[in-house]
Amino acid sequence: MATGARVLMIDDDADFRESVRTVLESNGYEVFEAATGKEGLQKLVEHKPGLIILDIMMECCTEGYGVNQAIKYQDAFEGYRNIPIVMVSSIEQSPDERFPMAGELDMIRPDLYMTKPLDIPRFLEVVRKTIRTS
Amino acid sequence: MEPNRASICVPSLTPEVSEPTGQETIVVVDDDHAIRLSCQKILAKAGFRVETFENGARGLEGVTELRPALVIVDLKMPGLSGIEVIARVREICPQTIVIVITGYATIDTAVEAMKSGAYDFLPKPFSPEALRMIVNRGLERRNLLLLTERSELEREMLKRRFVTFVSHQLQTPLVAVHQYLDVINQLDDTQQTAAKKREWIDRCLRRTEEMQAIIRDWLTLAKLEGGTLSRVKVKVDLERIVRDIFATYEQLAAAEEITLEARFPEGGCFVPGDHNCLNVLFDNLIVNAIKYNKRGGRVTVSAELADGEVAVSVADTGVGIPERCRPMLFREFYRIEREGCKKVSGTGLGLLISKRIVTEMGGTISLESEVDAGSTFRVRLPEWHEDAGEAAGRANGD
Repeated sequence: MATGARVLMIDDDADFRESVRTVLESNGYEVFEAATGKEGLQKLVEHKPGLIILDIMMECCTEGYGVNQAIKYQDAFEGYRNIPIVMVSSIEQSPDERFPMAGELDMIRPDLYMTKPLDIPRFLEVVRKTIRTS
Repeated sequence: MEPNRASICVPSLTPEVSEPTGQETIVVVDDDHAIRLSCQKILAKAGFRVETFENGARGLEGVTELRPALVIVDLKMPGLSGIEVIARVREICPQTIVIVITGYATIDTAVEAMKSGAYDFLPKPFSPEALRMIVNRGLERRNLLLLTERSELEREMLKRRFVTFVSHQLQTPLVAVHQYLDVINQLDDTQQTAAKKREWIDRCLRRTEEMQAIIRDWLTLAKLEGGTLSRVKVKVDLERIVRDIFATYEQLAAAEEITLEARFPEGGCFVPGDHNCLNVLFDNLIVNAIKYNKRGGRVTVSAELADGEVAVSVADTGVGIPERCRPMLFREFYRIEREGCKKVSGTGLGLLISKRIVTEMGGTISLESEVDAGSTFRVRLPEWHEDAGEAAGRANGD
């Protein structure tokens, strides 16, 4: 068990965060939450997590991509670029069908894309394998 | 700040539609040095960014690069003529307003310029005041065009994505509920988790209510569009409707110390319509007035009779609606959310439904609002007449 490893959840649905947070905490992770992309970027700097769980479709449609892009390309987040990002979305279609726009696909690592509701055992497995521990 | 941090906004929707920034760029194309200089001076003083060019070809390069809000161009220049410049500017930036200045302001040249797409013309010599006025008018016109274009694009986009949006709106609470149930199922039973589980079941119930509300509103809309809801025309007592709604939300209002007040003329207000429709209409307006109010605020519903119509206003002392949000207000899934304001729950369909109901009844709905002071929705509906009601009933085959 990765005791104390930090996870940042960026998702606009408080209920979704609450249930997933409980699962993560009961598995020994320390969880930080953000309800918007902006708040997420602040908490990223503040807590330097080992993994980010990022909702694609937040209040502002594809806000998740904005967050991902900021981390990947803005100088301010240079030190955070290697933190793995698990993208989650309730869209059933595969991401390449749903998001054909240039550049968006590059952001998704197929092994780190999960649909909501999360399959908890598989989700925990992904978290365990990808999280960075300092 | 991007407009409409609200609602479901459509990303990168209008890449070439830029917002009026307040410090607009104006390009002046004139071979006369003195004119360029005076335009520069007058307009820069008025707060604009001004770039001047001495001939048409240079001017067009400038327009391509700067994409100005407004171009002032001399009609009579050596080389590329003013008319040609107008046509090219229209191609490069269709939203740029072109104003023509001309030394020989005959009607013919002005008309020719307007036909090529110029907005207006200014005869030489002109006063600084005349220049400022025509520029301001041109920019107002442009802002209006931008707003319309933006709204139309958004509307088109929304239509195309309506189904996607509905499913997203339903899927969000559904996912939350599913995830809760799944986790409840997997959590070991301890005292701590037992408390959590109870709380989560409550939350699940609230989220299913949210889904029910979306489906209910969606059905109402579909019925309105099919015309099945609005065909009925019986005599409806508006005061009764409003007082019943007040009774329903008494607690909601009391929790925020909001006073509910109804002012109806003696003898009451009656309109021909469907009781349910009218209930939905005023329910939406009153709930909004409560939810978007401030603690200790007031909701006033007042009605009066005027020229065979019933005018009802629903006024609140709440957060108000910024002007930029108003064109989108009666659209599907439009929600106003601003930083510093509490999050308000709702389906995003209420005002759209209200507007449809009013329109179907042959009435109008309008809005006055001031940010931080409050909003007033005004509904005008035809007044009930014994004959009219029966006639409407007969016409509908009742």
